[in-house]
Amino acid sequence: MNVNFNNRDPVYFQIIRYFKEKIAIGEFEPGEEIPSRRELANRMKVNPNTAQRAYKEMEEQGLIYTERNLPSKITTDTKVLGKVREELIVEAVDTFVASVRSINVPVDELLDLVRTKYLESDKEV
Amino acid sequence: MIEVKEVEKKFGRKKILKDVSFTANKGEITCLIGINGVGKTTLLNAIMALTPINNGEILIDGEPVKEKTFEKISLIPDALTMIPNMTIEEAMEFMNDFYTSWNRERAEELLGFFRLNKNDRISSLSKGNTAKVNLLLGLALDVDYVLMDEPFSGIDMFSREEIANVFTSHLIENRGVIITTHEVNDIEHLIDKVVLLDDGMVTKEFDAEKAREDDGMSVIDVMREVYQG
Repeated sequence: MNVNFNNRDPVYFQIIRYFKEKIAIGEFEPGEEIPSRRELANRMKVNPNTAQRAYKEMEEQGLIYTERNLPSKITTDTKVLGKVREELIVEAVDTFVASVRSINVPVDELLDLVRTKYLESDKEV
Repeated sequence: MIEVKEVEKKFGRKKILKDVSFTANKGEITCLIGINGVGKTTLLNAIMALTPINNGEILIDGEPVKEKTFEKISLIPDALTMIPNMTIEEAMEFMNDFYTSWNRERAEELLGFFRLNKNDRISSLSKGNTAKVNLLLGLALDVDYVLMDEPFSGIDMFSREEIANVFTSHLIENRGVIITTHEVNDIEHLIDKVVLLDDGMVTKEFDAEKAREDDGMSVIDVMREVYQG
């Protein structure tokens, strides 16, 4: 759990984002146990109160759930899981569009280029 | 809660602390930031009643400092105050003799945490390890509040990381911590609250996470605004 936090976004927000990414790529599986708050703080080198806040927020968003005194787990709700993936993709595309907008490329040319680059990067992996 | 209220401190005719007020809560890490000579150490000494104040009031859990207070608050000064000839183990014994709040188990745990050898003589330790012994002696006390004076200054980055790890561990959990520093980079993500000191006054007191959330500002951004704006 080596996360490079930036200094300007709230840390709890960055923790949630990290979880969303891991959920979207399937590294955290539905129903998987996640570290305790203290353990997370320790591993991510963040304030325990911040880790607590991130967990509380994720619980409210339905990303994780806690049954009585058991360790918290990643949600198994497929609707929530699907939304996480979609949210991340839309966010990434938004960023891309915002930065490419200023160059004024025709959309077809852009899409062709995206396709080529995307397939290229697939090969490299 | 530690409450510092309108504290004034003079050395001769020189006013070091003009009017300092802030609070530090239990379960939170409060960071006192200010350049050298701004009165950070004086302030910690004043909280510990090691130096008399000329005006104002300091309360720990609602009460002024008295002898018994020292069983619930500890100060880790910027330099180790143990006799150099002692081994780490002897220094630990020394603490045990002085404080009923000394927690032997936690001291042993800290030895492992910092990878220190208790048979080493204090005078033979590197600067980084001396700083770790200093922290060990303060943190092994079962106290509610820990004051740390510049625990990171003059220490290599790996030792700094090890020390920073203390803050995210159970060794600190539920305690109130006041830490002074002039370099906040290493610990931006570890602290709850920031108190900026300048010219003997508190120029700003804020919640680090809130500054990021509400204003998109890092602790350093806020400092820049306050000191240079």
